[in-house]
Amino acid sequence: MSWIREGELTIIERFCANIIKAGPMPKHVAFIMDGNRRYAQKCHVERQQGHSQGFDKLAQTLRWCLNLGIREVTVYAFSIENFKRSKEEVDGLMDLARQKFSRLLEEQESLKKHGVCIRVLGDLPLLPLDIQELIAQAVLATRNYNKCFLNVCFAYTSRHEISNAVREMAWGVEQGLLEPSYHGDRYTSKTEEKLVMCLNRCLISVCTPTTPPIQTF
Amino acid sequence: MSGAGGLAWRALHALLRALLCLQRALLACLRGRAAAGPRAWLWRRAASAAASCALLAPAAGAFAFRKAGAARRRPGGAAQRRQRWRSDGRALQKLPVHMGLVVTEEEPSYADMASLVVWCMAVGISYVSVYDHNGIFKRNNSRLMDEILKQQQELLGLDCSKYTVEFVNQDKADQVLNCQSTLKVLSPEDGKADIVKAAQNFCQLVAQQQRTYTDLDVNVLDNLLSSTNGFPDPDLVLKFGPVDSTLGFLPWHIRLTEIISLPSHLNISYEDFFSALHHYAACEQRWGK
Repeated sequence: MSWIREGELTIIERFCANIIKAGPMPKHVAFIMDGNRRYAQKCHVERQQGHSQGFDKLAQTLRWCLNLGIREVTVYAFSIENFKRSKEEVDGLMDLARQKFSRLLEEQESLKKHGVCIRVLGDLPLLPLDIQELIAQAVLATRNYNKCFLNVCFAYTSRHEISNAVREMAWGVEQGLLEPSYHGDRYTSKTEEKLVMCLNRCLISVCTPTTPPIQTF
Repeated sequence: MSGAGGLAWRALHALLRALLCLQRALLACLRGRAAAGPRAWLWRRAASAAASCALLAPAAGAFAFRKAGAARRRPGGAAQRRQRWRSDGRALQKLPVHMGLVVTEEEPSYADMASLVVWCMAVGISYVSVYDHNGIFKRNNSRLMDEILKQQQELLGLDCSKYTVEFVNQDKADQVLNCQSTLKVLSPEDGKADIVKAAQNFCQLVAQQQRTYTDLDVNVLDNLLSSTNGFPDPDLVLKFGPVDSTLGFLPWHIRLTEIISLPSHLNISYEDFFSALHHYAACEQRWGK
């Protein structure tokens, strides 16, 4: 599969993996894909080549995570702040995304085999329409898989995610699905606790099958 | 992994951890010895590179740390110190407008934190926030303030009793060192809990039909947060202690903050503090660009 490099570990890699797996292992690892442009400069290649090789390294890293039994991986691929870059670079990154998501949709069998649930988090309306469509197809096609979870943060900032979660809750209140309750001018710590759970549930990055259901707060 | 095989891998894992601990201890020892040397910066870079290879993430990038014996007070009177520290600040390419001092160690030291706050003020940093994840500084706010007032008097010869405790408006045009730096003492309730309260308040307004859910965006939520009213977002956080986490320090506000880790705030020297400022001044910040 293009997003998860095929092939098993070498003997040395298997040896190291077995030692590492003997100790405590994270259930969820996040990668910030930083340094593509510095790498390109160091290797005297174009920036676009740096980004492309960054993706290849990600594919290799996802293979390692799979082998190590790390079931959830989050990748910070593109921030809303990155739209400030030159049009040429942004277009190049969008082309790369287009290419990779299209390729992903051609590999349905492989996705099914690995049981990868793909989630894309971010302010997707900021992206070109065709990329939004590709993303939607990838997310829908894999929504029922649950062997491992790949969260791709694309057009993402944490502030956007948090304010989105609060907006979702406010929508729930408007629809009568949620009911805020407070005592005078003070929220009890119990309601605060329930609200934290509720907010957590609304955060798109925390939507795993094991998250508790929404409560009133 | 089960049985004898599993046992063998666990034994190898334990051996690997022991070796890493030994290497960390050795590096710390050698770092301490080399710290005062003329090539201290070179040593730190080498140690950082070596530590990175050996996966010693917490140790890598840590600054040379001088234990007991480091003089907090430099020779010369208060006036000289004031001048010297102020010109140190001016000499830097950039100075943080808001500096966060985050202690991850279990037992914070009021005297050492007070020194750090006073140095921040002395070099010209306008906003300073102090944080520990147990809320110890916040609960004992008056004790910290007393210590700061004492050190301002001792180190800088200033009497700021009228200013430091109150929340004063900062006149940005006035960079002359007096008592115009502002301090906030924060705890975890100013972080995630503040976001939760803002969410509660907004949802209450929606329930009362005074607002609609579409009104809420990043800017609206930013304005609803109250823990850092009047303060800009932190430019720089100095994180003290071995924990690789900011432990809940203003999660909303630190999206673009440069974070520099130091081993400990205990017996910290002005040189270590200024070293970190120097590192910040030299760092390239592209803001996503």
